[in-house]
Amino acid sequence: MGTLMKTPLLALAMLAFTLSPARAADPTGEAMAATCAGCHGTQGRLGTVEFMPLAGLPEAEFVRAMTDFRTGKRLSTLMGHVARGFSDREVRAMARYFASIK
Amino acid sequence: MLNRREFLKAGAGLAFAAATLPVRAAQGGGHVVVVGGGVGGATAAKYLKLANPKLRVTVIEANRTYVRGYGSSEVVTGHVSMDDLNVSYDTLKSRYGIQFVFDTVVGFDPARKQLRTAGRQTLAYDKLIVSPGIRLLYDAIPGYSAAVAETRVPSGWIPGAQTALLAKQLKAMRQGGTFVLVAPPTPYRCPPGPYERAALVTEWMRRHNPTGKVIILDPKDSFITDATMQLGWHRLYGYNMPADYLKDLPASVQVKNSGRPSPIEWVRAKDGGEVEKIDARTLAVTTLQGVEKADVLNIIPPMQAGKLALDMGLTDASGWCPVDRRTFESSVHKDVFVIGDASIADAMPKSGFSANTQAKVTARAVADQLAGRTPGEPVWENTCYALAGSEYGLFVADVFRLKDGKIAQVSGQRYLPLDATPAQIRLAATYQQAWLKTFTEDCFA
Ligand SMILES: Cc1cc2nc3c(=O)[nH]c(=O)nc-3n(C[C@H](O)[C@H](O)[C@H](O)COP(=O)(O)OP(=O)(O)OC[C@H]3O[C@@H](n4cnc5c(N)ncnc54)[C@H](O)[C@@H]3O)c2cc1C
Repeated sequence: MGTLMKTPLLALAMLAFTLSPARAADPTGEAMAATCAGCHGTQGRLGTVEFMPLAGLPEAEFVRAMTDFRTGKRLSTLMGHVARGFSDREVRAMARYFASIK
Repeated sequence: MLNRREFLKAGAGLAFAAATLPVRAAQGGGHVVVVGGGVGGATAAKYLKLANPKLRVTVIEANRTYVRGYGSSEVVTGHVSMDDLNVSYDTLKSRYGIQFVFDTVVGFDPARKQLRTAGRQTLAYDKLIVSPGIRLLYDAIPGYSAAVAETRVPSGWIPGAQTALLAKQLKAMRQGGTFVLVAPPTPYRCPPGPYERAALVTEWMRRHNPTGKVIILDPKDSFITDATMQLGWHRLYGYNMPADYLKDLPASVQVKNSGRPSPIEWVRAKDGGEVEKIDARTLAVTTLQGVEKADVLNIIPPMQAGKLALDMGLTDASGWCPVDRRTFESSVHKDVFVIGDASIADAMPKSGFSANTQAKVTARAVADQLAGRTPGEPVWENTCYALAGSEYGLFVADVFRLKDGKIAQVSGQRYLPLDATPAQIRLAATYQQAWLKTFTEDCFA
């Protein structure tokens, strides 16, 4: 509780720290996209309306959404937290994956 | 059930049985056997087939229908029925061509890479994924036992008849009665779960038993989502927040304890909440602070990896299964992978969501290994929505990476902000209900 982060800015500072070059490689777009599937459907395919289906989403749209969630520009329940777990390059890789799913 | 020595012996005697029932790796893939068709096992089987449709995938599962644990506290308050917890395996069979053997594993020969079932089938594997869930240690609490849990003091932490019994007891409770929930020590399945259940029971009582009371007895001093959950209790039920939580609230969040007794109480370890023994006949619970007399008693006892993991020799002294964190391959047996609640996964909570993302990483790693590729960089996630009331949602959400051979949380803040707007709170509750559907689909369809 004492460690709760108060501002997105601080969170971004921490992100820069945790995603420092010490890490070997990025996971594949497919592997990262699989972590979204519990809510957004297997491969981003979804029938229900509450969550956003991600399959076939244009790359730029996905990147913008994730970036706005991360900075707090776009209000969310938990997407802000999740978005802070991925670097810009990783978000682009996920975007490419979802855009490629028909 | 066989004891562990007999279990391994039953496995070692497989040579001739295997000769009469040969199981060969299919060409172009290999044979992956998954034991346990719960969240972890079902997801692994499906994602193996997505990774490589040529793989032969066989799931050995004890029951023909899965009874989901997530969302099962809603049975206790009558929001859904036991039938609503049932999940069919039909789609996994028909859409993905996954084979199911409904049977119980009773023998294991790691040298020959073979398993034996109670129905006397022998199965050979190239890779084996085990997701056996948990085993409840009823006997760890003096006065408690499996027999008591099935008849008088249900746990309901592995969903089934005990869940239904608890629902029946709550309905039949006298007006003004006390519902006592005994929370487990860490690590345990679904960290916010006991507190969500207590909240839903409190909400139910406001309508059906307004003078009734809920008391949580806890061997811990904190829990995942504790601040946001208690803020919800305060707003919905007039719960008095402890001073140490009050002082961490942002200035914009107004909380004024009424000082009146609240319909829900949380007795922490430091306040004597640890249970020493129970009397199953009188439902008296003895803690360090005294004796609490319950009208309905729900105990979530300490737990460890499912018995199968113990029998297969996959556990360590902690009772959980040590694994290579990159792939979840067992530290004990090669070509055997342990996922889900049973595994030791460091910062990852034991949850369905965790089991689901572990299954995906492991399925991909197994498919890669069978194809002669090196598994890629793993990433996992956990999202547990929880309810403080049926329209008051909160959550814990994390992204996890491998760091120095351990699993670490990398996404920073994990909880609903304490100054969340009413819309965020309401939406979180809507998403919790939606997630029950989308998640079941991702695992089982
Ligand atoms: C009240 C409650 C609420 C919860 N809420 C949430 C939530 O909101 N979000 C969340 O993410 N998680 C939640 N969970 C937790 C979630 O249900 C578990 O973490 C998840 O089921 C773990 O998956 P698993 O594969 O490890 O085990 P399980 O799903 O328990 O699967 C184990 C399977 O193995 C089979 N099996 C065991 N031994 C053998 C054997 N010898 N032979 C053959 N088959 C065998 C069993 O029959 C079972 O089907 C909740 C749990 C409870 C109890």
